[in-house]
Amino acid sequence: MGHSFPEEVLEHVFSFITSHKDRNVVSLVCKSWYEIERWCRRSIFIGNCYAVSPKMMIRRFPEVRSVELKGKPHFADFNLVPDGWGGYFYPWISEMSRAYPWLEEIKLKRMVVTDEGLELISKSFKNFKVLILSSCEGFSTDGLAAIAAHCRNLKELDLRESEVEDVSGHWLSHFPETCTSLESLNMACLGSEVSFSALQRLVSRSPNLKTLRLNRTVPLEKLSTLLRRAPQLLQMGTGAYSAEPRSDLYSNLLDAFSKCKNLNELSGFWDVVPSYLPAFYPVCSRLTSLNLSYATIQSPEITKIVTQCPNLQRLWVLDYIEDTGLNALSLSCKELRELRVFPSDPFVVDANVSLTEEGLVAVSQGCRNLQSVLYFCRQMTNSALTTIARNRPNLTCFRLCILEPRAPDYLTLEPLDTGFGAIVEHCKGLERLSLSGLLTDRVFEYIGTRGKKLEMLSIAFAGDSDLGLHHVLSGCESLRKLEIRDCPFGDKALLANVSKLETMRSLWMSSCLVSLGACKLLSQKMPRLNVEVIDERGDLDSMLDAYPVEKLYIYRTVAGPRFDMPSFIRTMAVDQQPNR
Amino acid sequence: MSEPDVIKPEMMKSYIWLQTADGSIQQVEQEVAIFCPLICHEIHAGMGSSKTYPISLPARVNPVTLSLILDYCRFHQVPGRSNKERKSFDEKFIRMDTNRLCELTSAADSLQLKPLVDLTSRALARMIEGKTPEEIRETFHIPDDLTEEEKLEPLKNITDDPRIRLLNRLYARKRKELKEKEKLKNVEVEAEHVDDRSVDELLSFINGENGESKEVKTAKSKKKNRRRKEQHKNNAPVCAISDTSSTNNATKESNGIGSVGHDDDDNRVKSRCLPNINELLKLQDSEDDRFGLDDEFDDCDIGDGIDPEIKEQIDREVEDFARRLNSDWPERVQELLSLGQERRPTLYSVSVNGNGNGCSAKFSNSTRLEMEKHEK
Repeated sequence: MGHSFPEEVLEHVFSFITSHKDRNVVSLVCKSWYEIERWCRRSIFIGNCYAVSPKMMIRRFPEVRSVELKGKPHFADFNLVPDGWGGYFYPWISEMSRAYPWLEEIKLKRMVVTDEGLELISKSFKNFKVLILSSCEGFSTDGLAAIAAHCRNLKELDLRESEVEDVSGHWLSHFPETCTSLESLNMACLGSEVSFSALQRLVSRSPNLKTLRLNRTVPLEKLSTLLRRAPQLLQMGTGAYSAEPRSDLYSNLLDAFSKCKNLNELSGFWDVVPSYLPAFYPVCSRLTSLNLSYATIQSPEITKIVTQCPNLQRLWVLDYIEDTGLNALSLSCKELRELRVFPSDPFVVDANVSLTEEGLVAVSQGCRNLQSVLYFCRQMTNSALTTIARNRPNLTCFRLCILEPRAPDYLTLEPLDTGFGAIVEHCKGLERLSLSGLLTDRVFEYIGTRGKKLEMLSIAFAGDSDLGLHHVLSGCESLRKLEIRDCPFGDKALLANVSKLETMRSLWMSSCLVSLGACKLLSQKMPRLNVEVIDERGDLDSMLDAYPVEKLYIYRTVAGPRFDMPSFIRTMAVDQQPNR
Repeated sequence: MSEPDVIKPEMMKSYIWLQTADGSIQQVEQEVAIFCPLICHEIHAGMGSSKTYPISLPARVNPVTLSLILDYCRFHQVPGRSNKERKSFDEKFIRMDTNRLCELTSAADSLQLKPLVDLTSRALARMIEGKTPEEIRETFHIPDDLTEEEKLEPLKNITDDPRIRLLNRLYARKRKELKEKEKLKNVEVEAEHVDDRSVDELLSFINGENGESKEVKTAKSKKKNRRRKEQHKNNAPVCAISDTSSTNNATKESNGIGSVGHDDDDNRVKSRCLPNINELLKLQDSEDDRFGLDDEFDDCDIGDGIDPEIKEQIDREVEDFARRLNSDWPERVQELLSLGQERRPTLYSVSVNGNGNGCSAKFSNSTRLEMEKHEK
């Protein structure tokens, strides 16, 4: 590939290279590839919005069409990140609105979005098509109204799990009658009722609509009306799945579902009235994904459903499924790739739900394609974990949450070190792991020596000493995200592994034993890290260096320290003075 | 009475003359050549019908690549072929060395033959995907002209840092001690009995003691007692990394692991904020009993069976480590380390361990670990 290889042709070759990882590699080959690549990069992914500044992004990539940003750390989902931490979208949109007139897609996760930001989106981009707001907050339905009204070519509006201030349901009526481009609408997280006639008309004039996720307020009686107007749907989220038992209603619904020949994904199912369940049985044989995590139905009903879904690849369900249901799942759903079992009543010590480690073992045995597991339960054994590991070496994501913290193997009363050790030993491609139960430093030794592909690790109430953290930081070569809470990890392991931190996206430690002094030291040694100390208990300025910080968030950045945070958060700066 | 001549099919074909940049001219069936838009355009402009007026092809097309391109055209211009046939041909067709493939891509582009451009470009893209920058440079013989700043490459995982290696080796020794200790532990322990002593021992060893590990036992018991007393006074949670002042006391020390015998160490104390001083003392007691058993530096439980040579090497590494540790950490560390004893805020201890007070709160906190929003 000499000098004669024309740039346009190279650009054409690059157009077939789409993964962010590969694009980044391409830019590191040589100067000319760097230049060509940056001009033809169309899609940007920024995993930490504070790792780089909007200006830097725009300067390097002038022709971007799609931007994906993530803000708050993952533990924000468990209320560990205080309000006001940051993750503001406005600085980004204000720059992008001027620099990227042809922007088509914005995808945000855990960011603070405002109505002003949404309005700016709606007015700035002629060809705007896709807006995905995942676990975001700070905006209201007024902002949504602006998007609906002004984005002429909108294809996707997806609000998954965002916290939206519900001013009114009127926003939906702002979609002009001329808007026929909608392909995906997810409003499941909204609380207030939308005008059903507006919704109905919108669905009717959107021939390309593939995904429709309703919110709870859309009654079951109206569901068949919508389904009939959109028989081409692929993914459907019902509203409340309850109504008075009426045979005409039932047969309408059954008929409507039967006509949806392409439906392969179902969700919703709030407030289920079991007698209406069979209405959707006609689609079961084609279902690849089923989300019953809001459905408070019992094991027999769940079992009846899963046994009719031989093509099921993903199942999200409450622990009402019990071991019997999981057993049935393992026999019927041989294509299962992902299983998530959520607790129906996590705050009760002894729930009346017969879900144990055996259910998971059964699924690991019967479902050969199982790759991803999220499992809440109340008891576990090393033996079960070892069996699961041996059965399913192809696991890539294993998240176990035993509800009682520091719960040992309930049969032997030993720590669960060997069980999790077996998981990292056998599952050589494991990328994500969450630990729970009684764990000593031993488990971290296993993880450090075996977890070579591990990219994300979540630890809580585990370990004995810095040794544990040291094993992880020094051993896990692929580690990108590490989040820790309530573990006895302190300064030593952190300071002995400073250079590791620059190879990772971020490290979160809360209720651990890292001192303020160590944080200062760390930031002095590593200028390309932002070391954020979060402490709401008192005055950070007068806190002594010896004191352990409440929360610590460390991430690599080329944008330097940030200044948009409240008083209880500080980025340790190089010129920090020691406090005595 | 004349019969019409039998007209041979070959004579019905018309031929086109093409000239490559090196001057060579060749004849090609018209139906094949017009598959290339550029050539087609030239033909319509009246070129190429005779040897004296050949179509001049762009410089990027040499005789070899022209031949390949014509093979491609010859196959694909036949209308009756199935998609499967075409795909199969394409897959075989692009199997060639990298240089040739690049030339072909470039040539096809200059002839505006889009299907072939796409085919070859995709093949090149596949050769690029999944590789590292260095591998790509090798594949395509591209010189590396980016500076270090420009690359801003993330630091490679430094597991072969000698400090880490040494620490790991020393940690391995402590493992055995920890194992013994675990047997005494109450499995349902709620207080975090942190064994930071092991790490501290290591660091003080690294700083102070260089291989004087043989004469141990008698001296140790005295020190143990003194240490225990000092502990009562000093429960300060201090960030203890290393203490340069302790190296001066090195020669006085007699054993490797058991260390912590000299006075200064107690001021330095431990890095951990232990929930309860009594826990610490209990721990120390049990640990001390073990020290007599295994504290030799050339202990076999390191795993690589220390022989004298290796021991010497480790001694050297330790010295090196100490030197490096001391030069790396700024003076601030020493300031930090000489902090007086402070009481920890009680607020802290409540939130950390499970004395039973925080039991239910802890419970709910942990269940929220994967919950709250039904999240990916």
